Amino acid sequence: MRPWLGWALKLSLVGLVVLAVFAVYLDAVVQEKFSGKRWTVPAKVYARPLELFVGQKLAKDDFLKELDALGYRRENAVAGPGGVSVAGNNIELHSRGFQFYESTEPAQRVRVRFSGDYVAGLTQAGGGNLAVARLEPLLIGGLYPAHQEDRVLIKLDQVPPYLVETLVAIEDREFFNHFGVSPKGIARAVWINATAGQLRQGGSTLTQQLVKNFYLTNERSLSRKATEAMMAVLLELHYDKKDILEAYLNEVFLGQDGQRAVHGFGLASQYFFSQPLSELKLDQVALLVGMVKGPTYYNPRRNPERALERRNLVLDVLAEQGVASVEEVEAAKQKPLGITRRGSLADSSFPAFLDLVKRQLREDYQEQDLTEEGLRIFTSFDPILQLKAESALADTLKRLSGRKGVDQVEAGMVVTSPESGEVQAIIGSRQPRFAGFNRALDAVRPIGSLIKPAIYLTALERPSQYTLTSLLEDQPFSIKGANGQVWSPQNYDRKAHGTIYLYQGLVNSYNLSTAKLGLEIGVPDVLKTLNRLGVEQEWPAYPSMLLGAGGLSPMNVANMYQTLANGGFNTPLRSIRNVLTADGQPLKRYPFQIQQRFDSGAIYLLQNAMQRTMSEGTGRSVYSQLPRSLALAGKTGTSNDSRDSWFAGFGQDVLAVVWLGRDDNGPTPLTGATGALQVWTDFMRKADPLPLDMPVPDNVVQAWIDATSGQGTDPSCPNAVQMPYIRGSQPVAGPACGIQAPVNEVMDWVRGWLD
Amino acid sequence: MNKWLIPAVTVSLVLAGCSSVPRGSIPVVEGGSSISSGQASATSDYPAATPQVQALPEDSGVVVMVPGGGTTTPIQSFPAGNAPLDTSTSSQPWSATPPATQGGYAAPAPSGIPSGGLAMDEQLDGPVLALLTTAQQQQGGGDLNGAASSLERAQRIAPREPQVLYRLAEVRLAQGDAAQAEQFARRGLSYASGRPALQASLWNLIAQARERQGDAAGAAQAREQARVSL
Repeated sequence: MRPWLGWALKLSLVGLVVLAVFAVYLDAVVQEKFSGKRWTVPAKVYARPLELFVGQKLAKDDFLKELDALGYRRENAVAGPGGVSVAGNNIELHSRGFQFYESTEPAQRVRVRFSGDYVAGLTQAGGGNLAVARLEPLLIGGLYPAHQEDRVLIKLDQVPPYLVETLVAIEDREFFNHFGVSPKGIARAVWINATAGQLRQGGSTLTQQLVKNFYLTNERSLSRKATEAMMAVLLELHYDKKDILEAYLNEVFLGQDGQRAVHGFGLASQYFFSQPLSELKLDQVALLVGMVKGPTYYNPRRNPERALERRNLVLDVLAEQGVASVEEVEAAKQKPLGITRRGSLADSSFPAFLDLVKRQLREDYQEQDLTEEGLRIFTSFDPILQLKAESALADTLKRLSGRKGVDQVEAGMVVTSPESGEVQAIIGSRQPRFAGFNRALDAVRPIGSLIKPAIYLTALERPSQYTLTSLLEDQPFSIKGANGQVWSPQNYDRKAHGTIYLYQGLVNSYNLSTAKLGLEIGVPDVLKTLNRLGVEQEWPAYPSMLLGAGGLSPMNVANMYQTLANGGFNTPLRSIRNVLTADGQPLKRYPFQIQQRFDSGAIYLLQNAMQRTMSEGTGRSVYSQLPRSLALAGKTGTSNDSRDSWFAGFGQDVLAVVWLGRDDNGPTPLTGATGALQVWTDFMRKADPLPLDMPVPDNVVQAWIDATSGQGTDPSCPNAVQMPYIRGSQPVAGPACGIQAPVNEVMDWVRGWLD
Repeated sequence: MNKWLIPAVTVSLVLAGCSSVPRGSIPVVEGGSSISSGQASATSDYPAATPQVQALPEDSGVVVMVPGGGTTTPIQSFPAGNAPLDTSTSSQPWSATPPATQGGYAAPAPSGIPSGGLAMDEQLDGPVLALLTTAQQQQGGGDLNGAASSLERAQRIAPREPQVLYRLAEVRLAQGDAAQAEQFARRGLSYASGRPALQASLWNLIAQARERQGDAAGAAQAREQARVSL
């Protein structure tokens, strides 16, 4: 007996010591992780916030689309943040407030009155005038690390009513009474497992579930279970219920979105409802809590019936336990699931734009900072313009699909604001939802005639030599290159057009006269102009460069045309405005920068010619769809055998570049005018830009010339047209015609009468 | 020189006398910035002008003048030079240039308000005025990045408003980026046609920016441009 007792005593002592050491170790583990930074949060990327002010060009439908994407609830009377009521052209909403780089936008009740496609009134609900207000920005993506966990961290005081009660009622009724482990629950689990003969169920408390997710692997074994129970007890020893609950709410896994794991109620609320957690109603809370049991099985997008059944079951339990009244529960059960629709603005991805943002960020930040620090990235992305660009592309390709070979045509498109240099929308593929080869940034293709404005600009910068009405010869010619090769350009229509005005060479995109002009000026000077326009590529000074043999991406082209659209001021294109840290501290700004690269007079003349391209030249089909009063400037581009179909052009406040072509560089049935221009036109019709209206520079004068002779004339003469010239280069005004005679007669009569 | 200096100095003294420097502002940078209460009190001394005064809700103490109907004298919202920095140029926009030299633009109101003969379009819209005010407060509080950011927001709303570009140039200068300050002022000039006082201020700012870049000759040229603008 005695030796047995002694051994037992010694053994249990050793066991106790081992256990104690293990407990101390576990305690350290528990505390270390729980007291430090609990989660890494990926950087979040936001679209531009929609600004509201009187006089703003904004269609009511676009505004409502944005509100829908932001998860605003349509209500009869606005009840709180995130609510909106619509009555004809009057919209009242309660914005949510948001912290921006510049300042914090308060949550406020705002009334917006629309008239046509403009904001005609903006007032606070109390009646006071409001100069300007911002909606919160749409979250358009995040930068995920390899394990791709994503979450929106929330605090316990941000949770909506019923969430905690429902969670406790469904998952762990004893939560507020137990010490980490619930003996009742364990007893039940043991009983079930014993009768089943295998490990089937855990009697896990919320604390144990948290411990399991937080510290342990998914393995199911008794020893892990014991460890989990010990850690749960230790966690409860050190931290209060509030901390544990908050951690649970942020940790729990609630769904899988492709590669991304949706963790925590904060993100789940955004992911399923596009709403902040705090705004969720009873039915939504019940759905999310119900999903804890099996996020995949009860996924409301994939298995809506199961999810609905589960939600209603949860609601019944709430009524049973008196958490919510029977009436509330019955009302909640009547509601649909209310999950945001796939493909809506709220549930769309914009991989091409995010790609651009990521490239910029990776130049400035460590990968780890981007994926772990919860940075908030504010961009210039305009979801409304993006959707318009996408639908313009899809509609046009559908319309063109009858032509042979159009099915293989790919696309790239860039939309910017010429006055701020901000990138607003990007399409990298004809299927813009799929991430992959980003043609807007990476398809470097011969630009064809898109280069021509650079040649004419170089000429127009020399007003003593060239004006818009200088004469050019559009005649075939050949020159011998340094390597002995003969270069003989041809016009697209294979005809020569004789003596023409300089502007006509650009407007009709004649290759012969343009190439001749380029050779006169000198290819190196043209390339210098390109550099000043913002093209960074270094091209050899071959004559073929004059007809666009050099390759650029749509983004490069946008940069080049930006300078033309912005009065000769170059602006490096930007997609990011600024960055805040996770706790809202300003971190970095990407400031607006400009540099004057060209005399505004020369740009004014060039824009005049580019407007004529639209009104009477290669771009004129645009006005079969758009009103003549809408002044636009642009240029078509087509490379050899129609391998590349380009169009680049702008109004006052929108610039767009479209490229169509095949990835294998094969020929397409599309020229710049029949392909890319069609997409561009449809986009402009939807985007509704302001007409181009460059202020007349001080050194520009308007002169009347005879359209047939190019000589100076008088407005009273037939055939007189007005043309802009750099001061001093205009033709001498001609004598007046016809009308002067009656004036003289009157004067004679007056004189005679006086005499 | 002396002819215009006398009235100019007088006007600037009067202005300095009745303007109170906004709280927390940096005098060197702020100069005679006119969205400040200085403008408000300056105008209120002249009963002839009756602009509606409206305190924006988010304002803390700064009264912002919102131009009333078409009959009231418009308010300049761009600073009128930098008196503390350089007296030789500071008062030019305020100088009593005879209306005859202003080529057909609205003659200054007889009230003597130092509007420098600005055209009616000198009035600013609600949102731009509000954002310029915010930027002013941010700059006053030493938050130049915030001010620049607010001004860029204003620039997106009103890209062709030279007063916004003027303020952007001013903040860039305060941030030590003289090259960008000059560029923004030049962009402002391209939109400032027919607004001689504003042109003069923009040229003066270009002069300062060039001085900072060590371009004394360029600065002198810009000063000359500022003089002929008026």
